[in-house]
Amino acid sequence: MTTDHEPVIGIDLGTTNSVVAAVVNGSPRVIPNRGGQLLTPSIVAVAKNGKQLVGQLARRQAITNPQNTIHAAKRLIGRRWGSREVEDARKVLPYELVAGPGGHDVRVVLDGNPISVPEVSAMVLAELKADAEAFFGRVISRAVITVPAYFNDGQRQATRDAGRLAGLDVLRIVNEPTSAALAYGFGRGLEEKVVVFDLGGGTFDVSILDVSKSVFDVVAVGGDTYLGGEDFDRRVIDALVFGFARDHDGLDLRQDRMAMQRIRDAAERAKCELSTVPTAAVHLPFIAGGTAGHPALHLEAQLTREQLEDMTRDLVDRCIQVTAKTLKEAGLRPQQIGEVLLVGGQTRMPRVQQAVRELFGREPSRGVHPEEVVALGAAIQAQALTEPEASAAEVLLLDVTPRDLGIMVAGGFFQTVIPRNTTVPASQTHVFTTSQDYQPTVRISVLQGESELAAENELLGEFILEGLRSARRGEVEIEVAFDISADGIVGVSARDVHTGRQQSITVTATSGLTEQEIQQILAEGASQAPAPADESGARRRAALEAALEEIASLEPAVALALQRSRFGTDALDRAHRLTKQAREALASGDGQRIEAEARDVDRTLQLFRSLASGGGVA
Amino acid sequence: MSLSVRPNDEPALDPAALAEDVDLALEVRREILLLDARLERMTHHELLGVGRRATAEEARAAYLERVKRYHPDRHAGKRLGTFRARLDRITRRLTEAREVLSNPERRAEYERNTATPDDVVRIEVRRLEDELRAEERRSRLGRTNPLLARTTRVAELVKRGKDELAAGKPDRAANDFATALALDPRHVEARVLGEEARRRAASFRAESAWTEGLAAEASGRDGLALERFRQVLEGNPSHPRAALAATRAALRLGRVGEARELAQAAVRASPRTAAAHAALGEALAAAGEKGDAKKALERALEIDPRLDDAKVLLRKLRWSLFG
Repeated sequence: MTTDHEPVIGIDLGTTNSVVAAVVNGSPRVIPNRGGQLLTPSIVAVAKNGKQLVGQLARRQAITNPQNTIHAAKRLIGRRWGSREVEDARKVLPYELVAGPGGHDVRVVLDGNPISVPEVSAMVLAELKADAEAFFGRVISRAVITVPAYFNDGQRQATRDAGRLAGLDVLRIVNEPTSAALAYGFGRGLEEKVVVFDLGGGTFDVSILDVSKSVFDVVAVGGDTYLGGEDFDRRVIDALVFGFARDHDGLDLRQDRMAMQRIRDAAERAKCELSTVPTAAVHLPFIAGGTAGHPALHLEAQLTREQLEDMTRDLVDRCIQVTAKTLKEAGLRPQQIGEVLLVGGQTRMPRVQQAVRELFGREPSRGVHPEEVVALGAAIQAQALTEPEASAAEVLLLDVTPRDLGIMVAGGFFQTVIPRNTTVPASQTHVFTTSQDYQPTVRISVLQGESELAAENELLGEFILEGLRSARRGEVEIEVAFDISADGIVGVSARDVHTGRQQSITVTATSGLTEQEIQQILAEGASQAPAPADESGARRRAALEAALEEIASLEPAVALALQRSRFGTDALDRAHRLTKQAREALASGDGQRIEAEARDVDRTLQLFRSLASGGGVA
Repeated sequence: MSLSVRPNDEPALDPAALAEDVDLALEVRREILLLDARLERMTHHELLGVGRRATAEEARAAYLERVKRYHPDRHAGKRLGTFRARLDRITRRLTEAREVLSNPERRAEYERNTATPDDVVRIEVRRLEDELRAEERRSRLGRTNPLLARTTRVAELVKRGKDELAAGKPDRAANDFATALALDPRHVEARVLGEEARRRAASFRAESAWTEGLAAEASGRDGLALERFRQVLEGNPSHPRAALAATRAALRLGRVGEARELAQAAVRASPRTAAAHAALGEALAAAGEKGDAKKALERALEIDPRLDDAKVLLRKLRWSLFG
């Protein structure tokens, strides 16, 4: 038994927000970040002054610096360059994407440098790690990280790599819905079938679990890795942009990245408001024009809940279809389900809840906090994987592989070796024969997906088995052994049954980083890492600078809003005074003075943001 | 939980493995080593400790019990040495056993592939018993339900008809098919087979009538012979030898008109057959119509010059024409 009590953490690395949690005194709790927030935006940026920003600080300067602000990196992680998903993302993301050196993986251009997606995610993870270290006052090195259940091998590998790059020993990659079910069922002694309906920022997952007390046995999973809250936002954004174009002679705001960032923020806010109130107003003054010869234009719109529901109807329908299909695969009827958990911020939308209620004929459980529950489950699993006997309740997660796994066979067809919804870890061997006379080598293409045609499935990796015994077709037997680890990561080996010659791969070759690249990044990081004290000083400086910049950029909009309100321009004068003081503090380089100013500036910024995006005085 | 390890089946344990310094009690180490050593030889049922007839739910419950004990995650944080790999192997095998036994298709395939000869016999016997029972159930149902009774009766008749047809009793078969068709006029099989049976029955009857007719002719019973030959012609109007035989029998009986009708019918039925024309010639000659008789006989000889009877009669007619 280890006597080491170093805390272990669970991290929900989300598309929009990330959360870190740990089991403290036997019960799981969310760890607030150093800004006091429970949710940390999954955003990384390089500010105009060259400082690297993560989380809330990165989010704040997003409006003024959209090209160098990376959000929704999770949508790109483990994806191949040229895939449909990446092509779609390129059209809507304000930052630039390029192909990696091998031409297979995706690089994000941040401050002029192409960096890999796992590195971007690693920055978010490192921030969460540092938050947890600040909370516990000790070093943290081990974590459980969650991913959508429908993530494929490449996406899981890349997430694991991100953890390593952030200096974390990743104990396990756990599926988000499973994690949510664990947090919900922990200590409740459930004996029933549970459905987790997880509609997050970028992905949709549905998992069906058979829970018997401490064992969480996943029966079936389904999902869509490209369906989430951001798609709902996009519908609102499109409506705002096209509405504006209609009112202003076809003026296309999509060309203006800064305007788009403001619209994106306002759209998300309006969408969230409509979960609680029937109408939401969007006021974005000075959205366009304002230069010589062009009058300033303002975006003013009213959005009703019905309008939102109309424009997102097909997205909700897709979720329900996937859920019904997954139920069918599990061989269950909606009436046999004991509990339905709603996870992910988008499930706050009343229409989503109503659709779930209609499908299952029961109220979804309200016992969980949709944004925090996944991280809590990850923390419980982290604890169980380090001190199983110390846990208040012994837990065992039995997860499944989400996709059919197999190889390409003659004619370009796909032969399944391990079917989806098989409990992991699992291994399976399959004997194949050669398809041509006297062929000396055989190419093993490992694929994941549900299509009968190999080309329509995701290629995980390929390798060649050489030196086959010279014989007629069908006479050489090749035994291919597949292995899926408890993380859902795939290993494949092939063996010529007669010669015993063997080849194997851990499937990483087609996308993501190579082991060499990871080692290189880790080595560079070690030599460059500044002392922690400096880091926090620098971070505060950068934050303050970013805040001041954003205040300046928002000023015209705020001035207009204040003119029309009953508050007069006192606030503006006060803001001017404050920003002047803050600049002086920055110039002095005095850490304490900077910190003192930061708080006031922050408050001013909140006020400005609220005014600029059409809200009232906060 | 104890596993059903029979003492005589206990493999010798490697003392070094048993003595490995890990965070597991001696008893647990022994249990893991034993199970790991027998893993390959155990059936899925043995591994989960369930009977061959265990339901999917029972297999799952047994699996959960065992996996809780052997899953490496349940031993996290301990020093496990080689036991980590052993636990992992055991867990994967347990999972495989569960996957197979809880999936009806894979389970059926597995049970077929692993069945002992005894099992095969038992399964086969059960299958046959099941079939028999199903048959009985069907006929019982058929007797009680009027709608089904009709369908069942039709099916029975058709089946019997087929059997009779195969046994060379087309008469009876034709009868059964006709009855079946009366019960179910849209029964295509009964109609087609019924026509076939009638055709075969007719030719069957014709054949026996022919034989009987010839026998009667040979024994001089011309009346009976004529009757039988008529029957043959009824079944097959273009039976030229029957036509000829019938005509002659009628002539011998002195029924000239009848003979002529028979011969004319034969010619109509098979105008390219010499015997038919010869018969007509004989009948016409007997009726005294010598010119027409001559023409008929000439026509017969034109088709087949070897008809000696016709030649003789024609010569006679030619002479009498002159005389």
